[in-house]
Amino acid sequence: MIPSLKPEAREKVQAGSPPKGTWFGRIVVGLMVVFVLLPIIWLAYSSFIPKEALFKPDVTIPVGFTFQNYLELPFKELIRPLLLSLLLSSIVAGLQVLIALPAAFAIRAGTNVLPLYLFLLSVPAELLLVPLYGLLKDLNLLNNPLALVLPFLASPFTVFLLYGGVVKLPWAYVEAAKLDGATNLQIITKVIAPLLRPEMTAASVLAFAAHWNLVLYPKIVLNDKNWATVQVALTEMLQKDPNNWGALGAAAMLTSLPILVLYALFERRVTRVIEGGLK
Amino acid sequence: MISDSPKPKEPRFRLAPAWWGVIPSLLALLLFIAYPLIQVFQMSTQKYSIVYEGFAGFHNYARMLADPNVGRSLLLTLIFGLCTLPLFVGLATLCAIELEGTRLERLVKAILFLPSLWTIGASAIGWYTLYEPDYGMLATLTGGFLRLPWHDKGWAGVALIVLFTIWQNVGYGTLIVSAGLKSIPTEVFEAARVDGATENQLRFGIVLPLLRPSIVFLAVVGSLYAIQSYTAVLLLTQGGPFGSTRVVGYLIYETAFGTAPNLGYGAALSVLILALAFTFSAFQARALKSDL
Repeated sequence: MIPSLKPEAREKVQAGSPPKGTWFGRIVVGLMVVFVLLPIIWLAYSSFIPKEALFKPDVTIPVGFTFQNYLELPFKELIRPLLLSLLLSSIVAGLQVLIALPAAFAIRAGTNVLPLYLFLLSVPAELLLVPLYGLLKDLNLLNNPLALVLPFLASPFTVFLLYGGVVKLPWAYVEAAKLDGATNLQIITKVIAPLLRPEMTAASVLAFAAHWNLVLYPKIVLNDKNWATVQVALTEMLQKDPNNWGALGAAAMLTSLPILVLYALFERRVTRVIEGGLK
Repeated sequence: MISDSPKPKEPRFRLAPAWWGVIPSLLALLLFIAYPLIQVFQMSTQKYSIVYEGFAGFHNYARMLADPNVGRSLLLTLIFGLCTLPLFVGLATLCAIELEGTRLERLVKAILFLPSLWTIGASAIGWYTLYEPDYGMLATLTGGFLRLPWHDKGWAGVALIVLFTIWQNVGYGTLIVSAGLKSIPTEVFEAARVDGATENQLRFGIVLPLLRPSIVFLAVVGSLYAIQSYTAVLLLTQGGPFGSTRVVGYLIYETAFGTAPNLGYGAALSVLILALAFTFSAFQARALKSDL
């Protein structure tokens, strides 16, 4: 860059930049960050509080530091549900993207079913719990882990997200591949999928989190201790002993680890796709 | 284009190459969303506690009209929505405008979005042990000065669920407004500044009006939180104290799957809420159409 151009360029950027921040706004943002982080930091802190500290009159003074809470987490009541949820949510996230990709491509290629997807997207699915329960009962899927997979195979949201990505791709790539004699399946797997990796990653992360965070649904359709999901296990721990902070904190931190890892790896892609989704 | 002849009319339904791509997804959606959407009407006319017991006609609907809990629950959901929506939209807009172009923008937006993904049962544990009015960390730490008495005061229960909902969703709102903000061309600000606009005029005369589409979108999304809030209710207050946080979603759950399960009545309630939700979103679709 030529040094003499610098001041002028900077001035231009400033003239075209959005309005400056205010003290009021800065304080509100600061408070929001504290408000958002407080429960998370508290969880992390409480997970290391030794058990004895809870019986002292003032628990607020840090009385020690221990890994004991983590080591004592029960396998059957927590670790097993954690592993089960990891497995099921990963399967659902993978299959959802796998099923949505050809659908997104087909819609872009001209099969005009987009309005139908938009309609299905607008149905508040949480209000369909009762008939869905009836359906699963008729299909003999109650208390069967498949009930946590099959109804989530397809998601209008995932299709919509991937469609948003396909629309942005230059269609000339597809035409070129067609001229070279590629079949539609080859176009999807060899042309579209690699180009759509950011959207597919973000969609998988969001699908994983959405399935992972189901509480009411697994409670209803899998009313069986052997098939408790991670959220059901956490809810039960909280209801059984709400004052055992150390154990609760450790359980909460351990079960948040998968989300934390996913977010640390793909934060950029997830936020980008959400920001881009509206344009 | 060669001639000005009017476009050929789009066929109502068209199969393009690769049409088979929609089949697996459509089959699953039709079975697990569209079919239940129809089935709910049939179930609502049945006497159906845990097992099917016979045709009930409009009995469930008649019962709904006479049930004081339904009106109360609807009113509560409305109040909940009216409390959440301005806070959600206002805070998200303010955060997005404030963060735009600053060094901390990416970090703060990443932090604000974190709760919406965070393991929700873990969030509930964090909130419960921190804000529980009697033994919670905050109440203990401040000697009972900062405590939200949500075990015995209805307003406090509602406030807790409102705050939790804001906590979970403000980051998403910020991302949406931020996207709208970034799509405003810089020339607009440049021109306004050349014309001598003050920063406040920029804020209220330019940024806010141009953000209208994003804000309307947030309002649509935010009003859905009132319907979805039942998860927070289940995790934190279980409808209490004294039913003061029994939002419609939770009422359906309690009716259909609670201690005295009644699927038929639960289905009738679902039909009512679905009808209200669809009417509401039809109005909103109009608002969106004129804005996007």
